[in-house]
Amino acid sequence: MVSRPIYFIGTVLIMAFSYVFFLTFFNEGQPNKMPIAVVDMDNSSLSRQFTRNLEATQQAKIVVQLNSHKEAREEMQRGNIYAFVEIQKNFSRKVISNHRPTLTFYVNDAYLIAGSLILKDLSYMSVATSAAMQRKVLRAKGLEENRIMGIIQPIVLDTHLIGNPWANYGTYLLNVILPGVLQLMVLMMTIFAVGVEFKERTSHEWLEMGNNSMFSSLTGKLLPYTVIFTAIGIIGDMLLFRYMHYPLNANIGWMFLATFMLVVASQSIGILLIGVTPVLRDGVTLGGFFGMLGVTFAGSTFPIEQMPYGTRIFSYLFPIHHFFNIYVNQALNGVSIRYSLIAFITLLSFTILPFFVYNRLKNAAINQNYPIK
Amino acid sequence: MNILKQRYSSNKFLSFFRDTLAVIKIEFRTMFKDRGVVIMLVLAPLAYPIIYCSLYQNETLIDVPVAAVDCSRSQQSRELLRHIDATQNVQITCKYGTLAEAKQAFVEKKVHGVVYIPADFSKKLSTGNQTTVSMYSDISSFMYYRIISQACSNSVQAMSNQIQLERLNSNGITGEAATISAIPIPYYGVPLYNEGAGFASFLMPAILIIIIQQTLFLGIGMIAGTSREENRFHVLVASAVHRGRTLRVIVGKSICYLLLYATWSFFILGVIPHSFNLPHIGISLDIVKFMLPFLLSVIFFSMTVSVFLPNRETGMMLFLFFSLILIFISGVSWPQSNINGFWKAFAWIFPSTCGVQGYIKINSMGADINHISFEYVSLWIQTALYFATTCWAYRWQIKKSSNNSLKEMELLRDL
Repeated sequence: MVSRPIYFIGTVLIMAFSYVFFLTFFNEGQPNKMPIAVVDMDNSSLSRQFTRNLEATQQAKIVVQLNSHKEAREEMQRGNIYAFVEIQKNFSRKVISNHRPTLTFYVNDAYLIAGSLILKDLSYMSVATSAAMQRKVLRAKGLEENRIMGIIQPIVLDTHLIGNPWANYGTYLLNVILPGVLQLMVLMMTIFAVGVEFKERTSHEWLEMGNNSMFSSLTGKLLPYTVIFTAIGIIGDMLLFRYMHYPLNANIGWMFLATFMLVVASQSIGILLIGVTPVLRDGVTLGGFFGMLGVTFAGSTFPIEQMPYGTRIFSYLFPIHHFFNIYVNQALNGVSIRYSLIAFITLLSFTILPFFVYNRLKNAAINQNYPIK
Repeated sequence: MNILKQRYSSNKFLSFFRDTLAVIKIEFRTMFKDRGVVIMLVLAPLAYPIIYCSLYQNETLIDVPVAAVDCSRSQQSRELLRHIDATQNVQITCKYGTLAEAKQAFVEKKVHGVVYIPADFSKKLSTGNQTTVSMYSDISSFMYYRIISQACSNSVQAMSNQIQLERLNSNGITGEAATISAIPIPYYGVPLYNEGAGFASFLMPAILIIIIQQTLFLGIGMIAGTSREENRFHVLVASAVHRGRTLRVIVGKSICYLLLYATWSFFILGVIPHSFNLPHIGISLDIVKFMLPFLLSVIFFSMTVSVFLPNRETGMMLFLFFSLILIFISGVSWPQSNINGFWKAFAWIFPSTCGVQGYIKINSMGADINHISFEYVSLWIQTALYFATTCWAYRWQIKKSSNNSLKEMELLRDL
């Protein structure tokens, strides 16, 4: 195992790189101070006041003042700004003469996350500005303070996010992507470790080491990977839940157990794939295909429920889908462990898969009747 | 003398042309003889876009089930719930008497959110006070949160405005004055370039470009790894092929990849967006102009890295996971302006970063080639840079192979 650099890179290095990358990439939690522009065609003290108010928003930052809609649109097409605010001519005159001037926010939804976060911020800002103006008018009329609030905002919406009170973007992604990379690498390394024996025609020696029992040969070969990948996965859990303090509403032990079972289930699929085609190169291709789809099928980026009906059944084939369910139930929602029982049992049942290809693998190891390339 | 020189140079040109052609022929043959390479360079670039597009074909979430806890049981609370139910994205599927029951339904995954209306809702509204409605949302996916909170806040806002006008009226502010007072500065949010806020329209263009780069990269890596394994001296190019001329090998191979991927690009960036209704407002000629340096830089980048891949499987094993990282550093989901300096510089190494940005700007946002001059020039710089590194790497390999064969010859002679 230590003989070739690929073993070390494929287990430790890639996982370490992924942890470092994703943890440093999303350290902000939410994208703040994204660049926007203002097209102020009024250029009055009131419009400048409004522009200053915009500066106070958390997620948008005015980086440039432009003179026309066309200029602003082109700046957007260049990707220098994600949104622009257009203040029309006669803005202040209309406010003073009670003519309701309108404001327009153009946001770039081709960058959906940037666009929707900025729009939310800008809308909030202008509602607040309107409310302030309204309060002034109502105070002038001599209304009591609590009646004024009842008029300005009769219904308040109180938003609760179950489990992730900070709406941290990293939380949504890392709990899927990092196990996704883990699943992919476990698959690849399992397929490689077994397949290379066929490719290098060393399967006889390998089988002899296990006293001609495929079972002990496989166990002997793959157990070190189980240990290493589980350890790496648990370090990952610790990083997310302890170091980054991502939401964890259950005993972290359940996440450790889920991580361990994710590793074992992925190994089982790896054995199945290399058993179906005991040719290293085809095994690696199959494993890569399966592993990459896994991230999509976990069901976080786009909910599985809303995908075409057939794909829902497909998603059960991926260990990470069940891992993700355990994560949602335990870490996010903190519900009783019995709700995750099915997910745990399904993960466990993946270990049956290698037995389907047991004879096939053994014959391939003895006869070496598959092409090496 | 002059004539002699001319003939010599024309001969040189002819032989260059002939050798390059020979390399192209050999490369195409090795490509299509090898099942793994065919999967990577033919099947994957055609199948992946179709698979991903069909998975994400529902651009947005439709009728996400939400529970309602209506403790007010008034005409106004029912009106608010009807409002929420009427939105395209959310559907109120069940009603409960207590919050605990609704939470149980959430735990059992029957619903993804809960709207709670307190008992004093209508009383407070009728007495002119402020009242609070609570919303609980599933956050296992960002989409749930976005959709549910949007539907609730729009409905609450609409009802609020209506009540506001009534209250202003009862305080003696009527007609136009009330409207002005309620919303002195109305605003309009205009989403551009992805009007439906669609998920596929946002993410798929980036995925398509990454698919082009990664399949090409892994395919070239596979070819290089294989020829290294099969070659006696464990070098990239057999001496019989190159006959000492590096440039011809590189030009021949890259033309071969370019021809293949020009065809796939037409399919992936031309046919797929039309058939899956992804954004396609770009000028086709600009996309073609832009894709040329993109494909070339990917090809030379891959050829450079492929020199260091000892085995056929190495590329797949070690660089497949990188596709995920490429999507993030390309700056589509997490905005490019908020990527820290180190990762931004790191991202520039890979053609996909400029490729994704440029393609989205042309294709989704209707920019022309002048607007994306940064990406366009960057890709040409990368093309030049990686062409130079490819030449250097190939020359090194070819020298190694000639040295090895020379040594073997000497060894034979000594025997």
